[in-house]
Amino acid sequence: GVGELALLEKLLGLPKGNKYGVQGERKIPVLQTNNGPGLTGLMTIAAHLVKQAKKDQLLGSTAEEKAVVQQWLEYRVTRVDGGSSKEDTRIILKDLNIHLEDKVYLAGNIFTLADILMYYGLHHVMVDLTVQEKEKYLNVSRWFNHIQHYPGVRQHLSNVIFIKNRLYTNAH
Amino acid sequence: MGFGDLKSTAGLRVLNDFLADRSYIEGYVPSQADIAVFEAIAAPPPADLFHALRWYNHIKSYEKQKASLPGVKKALGKYGPADVEDTTGAATDSKDDDDIDLFGSDDEEESEEAKKLREERLAQYESKKSKKPAVVAKSSILLDVKPWDDETDMAKLEECVRSIQVDGLVWGSSKLVPVGYGIKKLQIQCVVEDDKVGTDMLEERITAFEDYVQSMDVAAFNKI
Repeated sequence: GVGELALLEKLLGLPKGNKYGVQGERKIPVLQTNNGPGLTGLMTIAAHLVKQAKKDQLLGSTAEEKAVVQQWLEYRVTRVDGGSSKEDTRIILKDLNIHLEDKVYLAGNIFTLADILMYYGLHHVMVDLTVQEKEKYLNVSRWFNHIQHYPGVRQHLSNVIFIKNRLYTNAH
Repeated sequence: MGFGDLKSTAGLRVLNDFLADRSYIEGYVPSQADIAVFEAIAAPPPADLFHALRWYNHIKSYEKQKASLPGVKKALGKYGPADVEDTTGAATDSKDDDDIDLFGSDDEEESEEAKKLREERLAQYESKKSKKPAVVAKSSILLDVKPWDDETDMAKLEECVRSIQVDGLVWGSSKLVPVGYGIKKLQIQCVVEDDKVGTDMLEERITAFEDYVQSMDVAAFNKI
């Protein structure tokens, strides 16, 4: 939520000074703006910050990329933050693993806000995965390891270890 | 290192396995390493080698920027898993006979000898290449350095020991251990690369500080 937005600001190179609050039981982040009621919602605020930092390419360049970025931002807020049972997590990892089979980044060949927010959103999940699970969701592990090494993304979050040698699978 | 023969399916399979948990050949950004391997591959990998295909399509999207990617293009044998050799476009033995004919008589014998010599050299080179350790052999050594008496300045003694700077030697932590009669010995840890530094050399250098050091012993020696 709010902590994440602070990390995002730093990653984007924005100066501090934005004021955040939270709303409601689900602690939805709110950004106070100078004029008006303020922006509500993680996705909305994140997209706004990206534009503020003039890094619009992080939202996608082509129409299709933009749509995919939005898809994953929505996924993050509804599926990752919404449900958090073991079963939900399993489904999320399965979905992601399939999606990332033929892509380096969520939107294909470019690094976008989708990768950033999915990384922050899934960090607590990845930290707790067993070695076997990390191998099972091999594409997610590859993607996650890649994003956490992207300059400026990880910051103070712990580094999730992925071992190089495959222990369990020999059939793909 | 290498991927075997990248022009064959077997080689592509090695590449596929290598890329299963990596986005790039080296590190976390596209570099000349990716370009080097990309250019060695004739056509997009088949769909069942989906990690290789993913990587291939991704690197293809950098086609226009390939000259500006970081790094230096190295031989294919420098990339990939450590235990696989590169055999892409392996040179077949050139025709000995043609060369040797130039030497006129003693044809037959020479060509046999020359061939044998060349094969020997090749075998030597291969064995040298495969023997080359991927990791440098290191050892952790604990040294006991003893002063003359209890009035020796231990701080100075430690300084002298740490002043020994050699390639392949890294000093670690140290502590003073009392041995009796008020005398303390300096126990200091170091990590050395076996090929470069030996305990004899260390002993010589340390005991050279005659004003402070009475003797030196190796308290513990562990391979890392």
